[in-house]
Amino acid sequence: MLKFKSLRKTSANFGLIWFYLVVFIVFSLVAPIFRTTQNLTNILSAYSHIGIVAVGMTFPLLLGGIDLSVGSIMGLVAMVVFDATLLFHLPGWVGILAGLLTGILAGLFNAFLIVRVKIQPFIATLATLTAYRGLTYAISGRQINPDLTVVAIKDPLLLSIDGRFGQIPFAFVYLIVIVIVTMIFLRLTRFGINMYSVGGNLLASRLAGINVDRVKVLGYALSGFFTAIATLVLMSRMRSTQEGLGQGLELSAIAAAVIGGVSLNGGIGNTFGAALGAFLIGTLSTGLILIGVTGYAPQVVIGVILIIAVSYDRFTVARRKRRWLELQHNDSALIGSGASRT
Amino acid sequence: MLTQDTSARAGTITIALQRFIRSYGLILILAVITFSFTIIQPAFLSLDNIIGILYQVSLVGTMAVCSTFVIITGGIDLSVGPVLAMSGLYTVFTLTANGQLLIPALLIGLLTGVVCGLLNGLAVSILRLPPIIVTLATMSIFRGVALLTGGSTLHAVSGPDSFLFIGQGKIAGLPFPIFIFAIVALIMLFLQTRTRFGLNVFAVGENEEAARLCGLPVMQTRLLVYVISGIGAAIGGLMLTSQVNTAWSTYGSGVELDVIAAIVLGGTSLAGGSGSVHRTVIGALLIGEMNNGMSMLNVSVEQQLIAKGLIIILAIAFNNKLLTWAEK
Amino acid sequence: MTDNNILLKARGLSKQYGAVQALDNVDMDLRLGQVHALVGSNGAGKSTLVKILTGAVAPDSGKLLIEEHPISGNTRAMLDAGIACIYQDSQLVPALSVLDNIMLGRQPTRRFGFLDRKTQRDIVTALLAKHDLQLDLDSPVLALPPVQQKEVEIAKALSLNARIILMDEPTAALSHAEVEKLFRSIRRLREQGVAILYISHMLDEIFTIADQVTVIRDGKVRLSVPIAEISKKMLIETMLGQELSAEVRVTQKQSHASTEVALECRGLSKTGLFENINLQVHSGEIVCLTGLVGAKRSELVRAIFGVEPADRGEIFVYGEPVKIKHPLDAIRLGMGFVPEDRRRDGLFMSLSLGLNIIMAHLSSATRLGLLAQGTIRSVGNEQIADLGIVPARLDAVPRSLSGGNQQKVLLGRWLTGNTRIIILDEPTVGIDVGTKANIYALLRKLAAANKAVLIVSSDIEEVLTVADRVVVMAQGRVTGNFDQTQISQELILRAASGEVM
Repeated sequence: MLKFKSLRKTSANFGLIWFYLVVFIVFSLVAPIFRTTQNLTNILSAYSHIGIVAVGMTFPLLLGGIDLSVGSIMGLVAMVVFDATLLFHLPGWVGILAGLLTGILAGLFNAFLIVRVKIQPFIATLATLTAYRGLTYAISGRQINPDLTVVAIKDPLLLSIDGRFGQIPFAFVYLIVIVIVTMIFLRLTRFGINMYSVGGNLLASRLAGINVDRVKVLGYALSGFFTAIATLVLMSRMRSTQEGLGQGLELSAIAAAVIGGVSLNGGIGNTFGAALGAFLIGTLSTGLILIGVTGYAPQVVIGVILIIAVSYDRFTVARRKRRWLELQHNDSALIGSGASRT
Repeated sequence: MLTQDTSARAGTITIALQRFIRSYGLILILAVITFSFTIIQPAFLSLDNIIGILYQVSLVGTMAVCSTFVIITGGIDLSVGPVLAMSGLYTVFTLTANGQLLIPALLIGLLTGVVCGLLNGLAVSILRLPPIIVTLATMSIFRGVALLTGGSTLHAVSGPDSFLFIGQGKIAGLPFPIFIFAIVALIMLFLQTRTRFGLNVFAVGENEEAARLCGLPVMQTRLLVYVISGIGAAIGGLMLTSQVNTAWSTYGSGVELDVIAAIVLGGTSLAGGSGSVHRTVIGALLIGEMNNGMSMLNVSVEQQLIAKGLIIILAIAFNNKLLTWAEK
Repeated sequence: MTDNNILLKARGLSKQYGAVQALDNVDMDLRLGQVHALVGSNGAGKSTLVKILTGAVAPDSGKLLIEEHPISGNTRAMLDAGIACIYQDSQLVPALSVLDNIMLGRQPTRRFGFLDRKTQRDIVTALLAKHDLQLDLDSPVLALPPVQQKEVEIAKALSLNARIILMDEPTAALSHAEVEKLFRSIRRLREQGVAILYISHMLDEIFTIADQVTVIRDGKVRLSVPIAEISKKMLIETMLGQELSAEVRVTQKQSHASTEVALECRGLSKTGLFENINLQVHSGEIVCLTGLVGAKRSELVRAIFGVEPADRGEIFVYGEPVKIKHPLDAIRLGMGFVPEDRRRDGLFMSLSLGLNIIMAHLSSATRLGLLAQGTIRSVGNEQIADLGIVPARLDAVPRSLSGGNQQKVLLGRWLTGNTRIIILDEPTVGIDVGTKANIYALLRKLAAANKAVLIVSSDIEEVLTVADRVVVMAQGRVTGNFDQTQISQELILRAASGEVM
């Protein structure tokens, strides 16, 4: 009961879960096709990888930063795996390791730019968004050997990444595992707590002796790592890749995280919310198409939901936080600027 | 008193140095790049090539100068891509419906930008929602609307010639888009340096509370900068549609990042309170010059992309370093 | 004399910022189990002292000793030495639980960085039990009422084995009942031998909680005595400063007040801030609104200027009833406002002096929406010359100016237009003595030009120097209104302490 209470207190997830259930029930009633197993399976497999990327995105956002480069990291990781298996005919596990390593390194390079070169996260990852995409083209085995564009990956290990337990796609199982692991990480490890700390009050974190830079490095590395995992899942299903894979993914992932209650100001939110946000987008989009709204309406709806989510955030959660901060700042305003401040 | 004087003088020198670096650091970088390309490939400085560069940057450049005010106020506009698409679509629709009358079609196109900008601006200024989320959301919404109204098919432009002139015409051998870019940039520069509105933009971006205490129209200013950004995107839509003879609901995907890159490369801080239109022009030119120069040197497209990312990082890191150095 | 109870000794601390001597040869002793109050008006040097004690700034000279061992260094070293500070700005992480905030960065872990929640909970529970604090360990701090947030900060300090806790305005965000609760916590700390440096503007609180009080003014310690040996009146007197000799006042002052009422408030109220304020300022008159910090004077003038308008009551400008909902309304009525925090609320740091000066009267320098550069230049040059701003360059930016010159720029902003009523909030805080005199002369000149001047000031020397009339506020009410013949330090102090005159 205590756990339950604290969950309700700490997360904005509760409202979201209710909203999700309502959406789900409404579609189930209105569109009979919606509640078919086939459809639900489709939603799960179509949105799990976005959920995984959104989980990764949660870390930079918790730190008060952002990672715009995830789409390009996805393209890059996929191309590394593609080259390893189809161009160099390396065994699948090498490809998988190389892919994961690529994701982590790409995240680390982002962190380097942000922590060391001290470039704002938005600009740094905007630049690497371009650079990683260029790198993807540069190493593209499809361009070195155009015949490969029509060759599918046959490596059994790679292909075994995606599959189904009965009606449940592996991708969804991975997402569940990732959410559980990251939630444990965020709530039960010191590093996880430090993520909230750095994003919530940078100065206090410094004073408490937390190695702020290291926390940031980890955050961006995790973003790259989870993007790599999502990429492997996606590749296993598509059995190939193309240079443009993942374009625009950053915006879906950010939208999912924000809808899931992760605050862009940092320090608030969790990975469960981000994953839920991805499925809310997925369920709404699919549901709307199924009830006969034309295929393009979902984009409008996603945008509207995003605005509602951020308004909710702004007028409830953020307001509480802001009022909290204002209380702290008000008295300093009262005391005013002493000689010491000038 | 003496010590105060010397420290004041030292301060003045520092300020002058900072200002010099702020104003000319970029031009320096531009000059160095131009020089290097020219040494390696003399044709780089040929008139034809320069015109080519200007033509290539005119679309993103026009949009970027119009978005600069948004960034100066500390905001951001991610929704320019779909606005570009919508503007092109509705212009073509109006042309078709109105028997190829040019003026109403252009007005409808521009009006699209105004309406979209108003929606962004209202959400940011009145609801006080964070601009990055608002425009991320409207990016999705506007794209959806573009797709709903324009479908996924290409809409061919069947004329009139006056419309096609916007993207394809030439005056005195110069492509017309260059004139559009130049005129829009000059108007924006004029707004920034000569008008009260331009000063309000800076004041709001630099110190919102002080601006309020000076009785400046903070909300209206915030609203208007998004409208201008919308108009810029709409002009971009007209240019693109005319250039390629078609309107399409997916045009402009990803253009928002090019636009922001040009502004940021120009040295405008995303934190607001600094920046200027002429530096955005330089930023756009830098990107155009790099693309062009590298193409001439037969650098492949992919390496160009990598280089572009790295140069953005280097230019910003370099500028930061110079500034911290100057502040010492 | 040796005193075994002395935990911390400060000797000869000095610190200078530019032309301002923020601290001047300050000595202080903190004793075991003692609540030591530190008082002084804005800019007296309290925050500098706190910064030195926490290691945030290094003193120019002087030393700190804990039990006779010299200590110095950065914030970390001071924490290790047992000095913790509860800042005005919260050092808590809003989304984290009480449990995590108390042991932020120091949570016990098992293998692989997993938190040892049980040990952590045991440690914190024991700590809270020892100090008799009751907190819901699992609640995020943003869900706690302000007093509990302060208690979390206290617990955090205690968990660091702090023996000396600095509290900077700990009651600022607390209600009356909550203050009582906080005091109970503080008393328990005292019983356990913790030394507390208690910084506050609330004299009632100081008389309730403190054992010793030190008054600091203009960077110097003016008084340091056991609280039992001093009266409230004496304390206020020491805080606000000495009365100037009568001659000085007469020679410096020559009232220009006319009978015309420029600004009048009737029954102005804002819930929770101020109540039923009646105030008049005549043309050519300088009215000082004084009182202790927390009397809500800034809130009142901000309401008058339309920044955060009042809920009830009327404002009259030159006899006309007016509605001021926004600063623009006030400006149109010929009012001007120089805020207390010049840097945060006043100046545009990267815009030129010329633009900073014209900013509130852009319409006078605009033709059809276009800026008239000539007007901006001439207006700016005129103000720079009139006010003696250094450097005398229109294109300089305020960032590079001294505090006094920055203040002149803000004054110049209001002298450009048709401003007839000018309100200044603490106009000389953080400004060196020479420039202060300069600014007083300017204000006098304004009054001579038949402008109405309303100054919020906590510096009695300033009040006695410049005021034609003094209005005193205490706890959101006007408690005294004295014209030139009545002004005396005695009366002002009595009114400031809440006695209605």
